[in-house]
Amino acid sequence: MTVAEVEKPQGPSDFELAKSSAAGDTSAFEELYHRHFRRVYALCLRMMGNPTEAEDMTQDVFVQLFNKIGMFRGESAFTTWLHRMTVNQVLMHFRKKSTRSELLTDEGETPIQIVQGTANPNSMPVVDRIGLEKALKALPVGYRTVFVLHDIEGYEHYEIAGMLGIAEGTSKSQLHKARLKLRQLIRQQAASK
Amino acid sequence: MDCAKSLELLSEYRAGGLAETESVFVRTHLTACKDCNGVFEELDLIIQAAHSLRNQNGIAYPDENAIWQRLPLGKSIIH
Repeated sequence: MTVAEVEKPQGPSDFELAKSSAAGDTSAFEELYHRHFRRVYALCLRMMGNPTEAEDMTQDVFVQLFNKIGMFRGESAFTTWLHRMTVNQVLMHFRKKSTRSELLTDEGETPIQIVQGTANPNSMPVVDRIGLEKALKALPVGYRTVFVLHDIEGYEHYEIAGMLGIAEGTSKSQLHKARLKLRQLIRQQAASK
Repeated sequence: MDCAKSLELLSEYRAGGLAETESVFVRTHLTACKDCNGVFEELDLIIQAAHSLRNQNGIAYPDENAIWQRLPLGKSIIH
C-alpha cells in the first residue's frame, strides 16, 4: 500500500480524486483544486512576495496539475507532490525572468556592523507574523527563496540545493544571510513607525 | 575578529552543524559577548516566527471560485 492510499481524509482521498481526474472526471479535479488552493497560493505568495503574481502563478500551477495529474502514482503524499510541483513552477518562473546566477543573492560578506547596537534588549521589536511577512516581501529574491523553502516550508538544504542547482553550502550561506537581512529589515520597519 | 567569525557561524551553530571546536568557540563567544548573543536570540525569534507561518493563516486569499472560473483547462471542465 502506498503513502497516498494510507492518507485517507473524509470522502475520497487525494489519490482517488487524482485517479478520477486523470480518467476525465472534472468534478474530481475541482474537488482537488478546492482542497489545495490555499496551500498552493500561500506558497506562491511567500516565494514571490506579490499577490498578483502569486495569483497568476497559482493558476499556472493548477493548469500544470491538470496536465500532469495522470503522472501521480501515489508513491508519496499528494500534498508533497503538489508542493514540489508548485516550488518547481515558481523557480522556473524566476529562471525565465533572470539568469541562473541571479537566483542567488550576493550582498557580499556579512557586515560586522550588523552586530552593533544589539545589547539593548528593547531595540529588537517583537517578531510577529505580520512583521515577518512584510519583511519577507522586501527580501531579495535569492534570499527569500531559500528562507521560505527552509525556514517556512521545512525543506532540507540538500533538497534546496537540488532544486536550485547550487551547492548545499551555498544554500546554507544564503539562508544565514537571509536571516540577517530579515533582522535588519524588521529593525528598519520598527524604526520607521 | 571573534565577533565576525561568530556571526558567520550562528545559523550553523543553531542547527547543530558545526564541528566540536567551532561549536565550543561560538558557545564561549556568545557567553562573553552581549551583542552577538543578542543577534543569536533575534535570529532565533525570526526562525520561530517563520515556523509559525507554516500554516496558511493570516493571508488575504483571493476568490478561489473566480480563479477556478479563469483556469484555461478547456470548456468541458468549467461548469
